[in-house]
Amino acid sequence: MATSTETRFSLDGVGRVSLAVAFLAIQVLAFVAAYTAGRPTWYAFFMIGSTAVTAYVIRGDSFVVAAATMGSILMVALGLPLFMFVARQQPAIVVEKALNPDVHRMLYLGIYGPLLAAIVSLLFGVPLAHLFSEGFAGQQLVESLVDLPLVVPHSVAGIIILFGFGSGGAFPNVSVLGSMIGMVLAMTFVSAPYAVNATREAFESIDDRLEYASRIHGANRWDTFRRVTAPLAIRGMVTGGVLAWARAVSEFGAVAVVAYSVSFFYPPAGGEVTAQHAPVFVYGTYLQGGLAESGAVAFILLGVSALIFLIIRYLTSDSTTTGGIV
Amino acid sequence: MSLHADVSATFTADGAESFHVDAEIEVERGESLVILGPSGSGKTLLLETVAGFHPHDGPVTLDGRTVSDTPPEERDFGFVFQDYALFPHMTVRENVEFGSRYHDDTRDGDELLAELGVAGLVDRYPPTLSGGEQQRVALARALTIRPEVILLDEPLAALDVPTRQALRDDLADVLADATAVYVTHNRTTARALADRIVIMNDGQVVQSGTPEEIFQRPESPMVARFTGSNVIDLEDAPSIRSTLDGPSDDVVAIRPEAVEFDGDDGDVRATVERVVREDATNRVTFIVDDTTVDAFADRAPTVGDEVWLTFPENEIHVCRQTATATP
Repeated sequence: MATSTETRFSLDGVGRVSLAVAFLAIQVLAFVAAYTAGRPTWYAFFMIGSTAVTAYVIRGDSFVVAAATMGSILMVALGLPLFMFVARQQPAIVVEKALNPDVHRMLYLGIYGPLLAAIVSLLFGVPLAHLFSEGFAGQQLVESLVDLPLVVPHSVAGIIILFGFGSGGAFPNVSVLGSMIGMVLAMTFVSAPYAVNATREAFESIDDRLEYASRIHGANRWDTFRRVTAPLAIRGMVTGGVLAWARAVSEFGAVAVVAYSVSFFYPPAGGEVTAQHAPVFVYGTYLQGGLAESGAVAFILLGVSALIFLIIRYLTSDSTTTGGIV
Repeated sequence: MSLHADVSATFTADGAESFHVDAEIEVERGESLVILGPSGSGKTLLLETVAGFHPHDGPVTLDGRTVSDTPPEERDFGFVFQDYALFPHMTVRENVEFGSRYHDDTRDGDELLAELGVAGLVDRYPPTLSGGEQQRVALARALTIRPEVILLDEPLAALDVPTRQALRDDLADVLADATAVYVTHNRTTARALADRIVIMNDGQVVQSGTPEEIFQRPESPMVARFTGSNVIDLEDAPSIRSTLDGPSDDVVAIRPEAVEFDGDDGDVRATVERVVREDATNRVTFIVDDTTVDAFADRAPTVGDEVWLTFPENEIHVCRQTATATP
C-alpha cells in the first residue's frame, strides 16, 4: 500500500516534510483569516477543497482525490473543534488558571496517577502479552477478559471495581473508595488492554528464530528475554505504556465513581493534599464556572498532555532507541 | 562427537492440517550429513526438533549421552538459519560473541570473522549487511562457541548464485572436519558438501546413503526425480525396454549425463522437444515413445530433429518394480 508508482508533482525536488509544513501553514493561515472574518464555516470548505486540490496536484488519481476528500471531511469534524477551542480561549482566564494552585495539583495528579496506572499495566501486562504471543490453551477466554474494559461503559467499570474491591469486596482491608489505590485501580482497569495489546503485537512481530538463535547459543529463557526479546519489543512496550497512560489521563467515568477526590502526597506542599483527577476537575469546573473557565483548564491540560506525548514520541523514535538501525 | 536422533513430533498451524515428522538420522564424528528434500518435506522441522526447539518423542543422543530432555542451550549445538536470524539490535561483534559468556571454551570472534572474510564489519548492524555478509556472520556466531555439532538450515537458499557459490566453497572448508547436519533442497549443494545424504519426504526419511548411492541408485521414483534422474516407466517406452535384457515393465531411472546422444547412431529413436542452455552445456529434452528423457549435449540440436539415443544398461537402475508397487 505504501508503494508509490506515479507522482505528477516531484516529491524528491521539494521534500515530503517541506510539503507537509507548507500545507499545514496554509491551513493555519486560512483558519486565522476565516476566524478573523467571523466566518469559520468558510475554513471547513477551504480545508476540504484544498485537500482535494493538493491530492490532484500530487497524484492526479481520481481514487486518491476521492479518498483524500472523504478523509478531509472527517478531519474537519475532528480538527475544526480543536482549532476553534484554541482560538476561542481567553488569555486572561488561561493565565489565571495557570497560576491557580488547585490547577497545579490537578495537573500533578493528572500525570502522576496515570503514570502509576501505566506502570502497573506494563508490569503485569508484559508477561501476559508474552504468554499471548506464544499461545496457550484457553487463551481466547483470557483475551476476552483483558479486552472487556474496551466495551464496558466506564461508569459500569467503576461500579464493577467497587463490587470487587470496595466495601465487602475481595480485599476488605484495602480501601479503594476515594483513595489513590482506587483511582490507580480504576485507571488500570480501563487502560491495561492498551498496554497488553500493543506489547503483544510487538512480541508477535519478533521472528521465533531470533529466540531460537539465542537459546541454541547458550542463553536460557530468562537471558533470551532480557537480551533479545525485550530489546526488540521495547518500542511496543513503550507504545503500550504511552497508550495506557494517555487512556488513564482521559479516564472520567470509572475514576468519578471510584475516586472522585483523592488524597495524595504532593511534593510542593510537602505533605498530603486532596485533589481531583483532571477530567473530573474539568467537569467540576464546567458545572461551577461555565464553559470559559473549564475551557481554560482544559486548554492547559491539553497543552501539558501534548507536550508529554511529543517528548515520549521523541525519546522512543527510531533514531533515539536504536540509532536508526532497527 | 556423533549424533543420533530418532524423533517424532506433530506440528499444527492455524488453518492447516497437522504435520507429523517421524525420522531417524545418525551422524558420525567429523561427518557432514545432508538432509535433502523438497519444500514442505519437514527437513527444517526435523533439524529444529533435533536442536530442541520443539517438544518431541524419541531420543536425541550425543556420543551416547541422551539430551532429549535437555533445553536447547544445553545441547551443545551451533545453528545457522536460512534467514540468518542475526540479532538486529546488536553489532556484528556482539552477535558473534553472543554465546561466549555461556561457554568456557570459545573461539575469538574477530579472528573467525577475519577467516570468513568479513573482518571489517565488526561495528556494523545486521540490517546494513548484504545477504552473503549476514550469512558469514551467522556462521561465525555458530562457530564461536565450538559446538559439538553444527546444524545448518538452508544457509545458502536466500543468496544470489555467485554469492552462494563463494559461500558454498567456504562452507566446504569449514565443514571439512566438523560434525554437521545440513538441510537443503538443492541437490548441487548436497552433492558438494555431503559425506552422507538423507532424503526426506512428507516428514519421513525415504532413503539414506552416500551421495553416490543416492544419486546413482535411487530407491524410489520420488528420490530419482528429486535427485535429477530421468524416471522412465518402461510401459510408456517400449523402444527403451527392447534394448534391455532384464526388466520388462518396471520403472527405471537413468541420469541425464548417462544418456548417450550421438545424432546418427544409437539404439532408440527420439525427437528433440526442447533445448535449454545450462552454463557450459545444453539440457536437451527428447520424446521417446510416450515419455520424455533428458540428456546433456555440448552441441545444441534443433528442436524437431529425429536423433538416436543410447541407454547404457549398466547405468539404468530399477527404482520401482511393478510387481511390488501395485497392491
